[in-house]
Amino acid sequence: MPRPALAMSVLVLLCLIEVEGRQSPVQTFAQMEAGAMSPRNATYRIDVRLDHAARTLTGLETIRWRNISSNPASELQFHLYWNAWRDLESTFMRERRLAPGFTPPRDDAWGSVEVKKITLGRFDLTSQQRFLAPDDGNMADRTVMAVPLPYAVQPNEAIEVVVEWTAKIPRPFARTGYVGNYYFIAQWFPKVGVLENGGWNTHQFHSATEFYSDYGVYDVRMTVPAGFVVGASGLEMERRMNGDGTETHRYVGNDIHDFAWTTSPDYLDSGRMFEHPSLPAVRMRLLLQPEHAGQAARHFDATAAAIRYYGEFFGPYPYEYITVIDPAFQSGAGGMEYPTLFTAGTRWLAPRRVAVPESVTIHEAGHQWWYGMVGSNEFEHAWMDEGLNTFSQARTLEAAGIANNLGLRFFGGFVPWVIDDVQLVRATDLNRLTGYRDNAEADIQATPTFTYWPGTATFITYNKTALWLHMLEKRHGWPLFQKVMYTYWGRWRFRHPQPEDFFAVVNEVTGEDMTWFFDQVYRSSNVFDYGVQDFASRTVRLKPDTTDNGYRTIVVARRFGEAIYPVDVVTTFRNGEKVTERWDGRDRRAIYTYDRPSQAVSVQVDPDRLLLLDVNYTNNSAALEPRGGEAGLKWSLKWMTWLQDLMLTWAFFV
Amino acid sequence: MILRSWFDGLDRVRRAPAVLGGVFVLTLAAALPLAITMRGAIVAHLGSSLAANTAADAVNYDWWQEFTSQASGLGTTFTPAVIGFAATLDSLSSVLDWRRPMAPIAGALATYLLAWLFLSGGILDRYARQRPTRAHGFFAACGVFFWRFLRLGIVAGALYWALFTYVHRWLLDDAYEWLIVDVAAERVAFLWRFGLYAVFGAALVAVNIAMDYAKVRLVVEDRRSAIGALSAALGFLGRNPGRAFGLYALNGLIFLGLLAVWALVAPGAGGAGLSMWMGFAATQLYLLARLALKLQFMASQTALFQRSLAHADYAAAPLPAWPDSPAAETIIGG
Repeated sequence: MPRPALAMSVLVLLCLIEVEGRQSPVQTFAQMEAGAMSPRNATYRIDVRLDHAARTLTGLETIRWRNISSNPASELQFHLYWNAWRDLESTFMRERRLAPGFTPPRDDAWGSVEVKKITLGRFDLTSQQRFLAPDDGNMADRTVMAVPLPYAVQPNEAIEVVVEWTAKIPRPFARTGYVGNYYFIAQWFPKVGVLENGGWNTHQFHSATEFYSDYGVYDVRMTVPAGFVVGASGLEMERRMNGDGTETHRYVGNDIHDFAWTTSPDYLDSGRMFEHPSLPAVRMRLLLQPEHAGQAARHFDATAAAIRYYGEFFGPYPYEYITVIDPAFQSGAGGMEYPTLFTAGTRWLAPRRVAVPESVTIHEAGHQWWYGMVGSNEFEHAWMDEGLNTFSQARTLEAAGIANNLGLRFFGGFVPWVIDDVQLVRATDLNRLTGYRDNAEADIQATPTFTYWPGTATFITYNKTALWLHMLEKRHGWPLFQKVMYTYWGRWRFRHPQPEDFFAVVNEVTGEDMTWFFDQVYRSSNVFDYGVQDFASRTVRLKPDTTDNGYRTIVVARRFGEAIYPVDVVTTFRNGEKVTERWDGRDRRAIYTYDRPSQAVSVQVDPDRLLLLDVNYTNNSAALEPRGGEAGLKWSLKWMTWLQDLMLTWAFFV
Repeated sequence: MILRSWFDGLDRVRRAPAVLGGVFVLTLAAALPLAITMRGAIVAHLGSSLAANTAADAVNYDWWQEFTSQASGLGTTFTPAVIGFAATLDSLSSVLDWRRPMAPIAGALATYLLAWLFLSGGILDRYARQRPTRAHGFFAACGVFFWRFLRLGIVAGALYWALFTYVHRWLLDDAYEWLIVDVAAERVAFLWRFGLYAVFGAALVAVNIAMDYAKVRLVVEDRRSAIGALSAALGFLGRNPGRAFGLYALNGLIFLGLLAVWALVAPGAGGAGLSMWMGFAATQLYLLARLALKLQFMASQTALFQRSLAHADYAAAPLPAWPDSPAAETIIGG
């Protein structure tokens, strides 16, 4: 291309970027190659060989890394995630050991990764490797490695680093490892951290958080035993039989920030096209366990539902392909997202009316939007992908009208039973209110996720976010809130947004400064609990000089929790009249008195349940003629028959 | 012989409806105090809330989860497993997976099992005699055999304890984990687990059947020694394995058939009022059937023993003569 044309192209591209959206505060030089969707500043070419007998990987990778921060880089930092399973002293295992009932892994379960050689051009950096522990100072942790560079890499300057490494494949840890002939290989190669304007953002591997990395092109050749089926991020470009009983599969993925793969001789490989009048077609590939052969349609339908509804809600899926992996039993690999590939999760006995494969599939497919395209930092702000995605998953399940009964499991979890009487609903069940309710004060969401208490991190990350996002939807209405979400997605896709970026979009699109809201739900761990403190409706003489009797109704609404949110207080009278009071919810209580010819029958605080984070909704209402006795009788009889059944079962022993 | 004993047992159960009625009342009475406590907890939690409306008319799962998360002790056992056939699966699964019951439930279970131990002497005596013994005779037999059964119960308890403490752990934890360590297909693991359940269940059945015939021999032969009765029961089983285990299997199959029917017809949550009482009645009918089957086990095993031990004047059905002891009756008859 002639120079003036090239300069003009770059100029136009820069203008486009400026017009398209704001620059990320964490990185500055987000220039993109022609045809690229992302900065592509961390591009990998990897050759890896699986030794099935020895359960090892041997890899050679060339990383083309471009400094898109505003500062020169004098060192490179790498994630060596598999060293989390090297021994019990890694940060990951130390955190795991905090869990009650922790049992150490088997002797043959451990995994690790070792960099044998690392070079930058003519410079051999191998001997200069050192391990860092930026999060907790644990010097026994080897999941972050740094090497000094022989020269500073200037902003927007690129280098090529060649890394030779070997890895011991673990039995399943954190969705990675082998079981029998099945392999799921994730977070498996030495991977460059993210250089931000403030320096390297390379966290250690923690037990309750996931990952963060830059976008690039992955060109990966995987050599596996001949006859093994391979599924991977990206698209298969080439397959070659080697003379030694192995086969090499080459996959290429553009504009992705991670690469995972799986191989097994047992997979059933099938495909189906996703087609939609206004969304791009997507080739869906499903690698299914043979024992789940009858569940292929459920996986395809759920994947298609995710591509359709996420596409309609937020924006189109930009890749032409997606791979769904049905992981092997005990692989621990179920329910995990990787770019253009995800693992679903089902059971051999999976009743139709229990949407377990569907909900997992939709959730993980949905991560292509929240994680894959919008590349937030999962170490620090896991709610930005998991929370947004839990909200989106719940909305999709509801929109797709997928039957979703409660399912229980017995006999070691193998035997399912459907509770026909319990239909799971979006607001409370799919947004996972219960888990949040039990752990509402566990952590302040604004603190870095990797510092959350590992045992309860998920409730603050997934559940609380989904609930408060649904509150925003209820407050602003779906059309406006949808605009919030697709504006955020469109603005931050293939970039690394921060929490404030999301809040800014909410404020901008809704036209309302919601800082007060985020102060409550995000920057605080206070709980919401509004309720009825007192409710009475008694006969009174309405006017002193007449004999007209009526009723004086007194309602005392109460804020039991520390968190504040405006709520409605609705009093219903026997004649059908309803009186709605709008309470800002700030004071500890609000008292309303009504003199009416009709007696009040009930009062409800937040009757439309706009405040989904309310941890105690039972106390939100009161009736003059309560039916607690009836309900108590009915359910205690049910419970009694359960106890009688248990007694009879135990009577076997006498 | 198996079928004749089974029908003979059925006839003995049928002719003693008071026994069935009695154990039914026992099963109801044993559960009632805790059910009243549970009702109090539910009513207290609901208070005057409108959440009670949906809870009364159908299932208010949102309230339910709130209740469970705020509950402690007994309240934590109030889960959706109480609905319909799930309750049966839950109770069977809790035994086979050895989930220890919490303290108040364990207390109720212990009381219930002790009551069964007390009544078993009277029940077997009634079935052995094949004639009404009236309340006095029934409870006298209960009293006579209780201490012997208690001694036998200690032996049985020790064996069951060993099975659950060691064998269960070896089979369903250690061996299971070892067997499936490289298993990548759930159905294979399922087969292993259910195979191990079968092995463990067979061990339970072996102890159970030995104890059953020990009790039968204690009563029918008016034995004093629990150990002696157990030894004699083992001898009987050794000489009549096909009949004894065949009869047990037949009763077991009927139990599985009953479960299958219940799985199809068990009522769901229902509403308050009439549907609640109809659901309750249906469930009590199912429990009554299970109790009848338990009694059928006892009666048919008694019949088999009395038919098998070919000494008509000793262990066969005694003549209706005073005194109560079959052994004494044999002596009188002889």
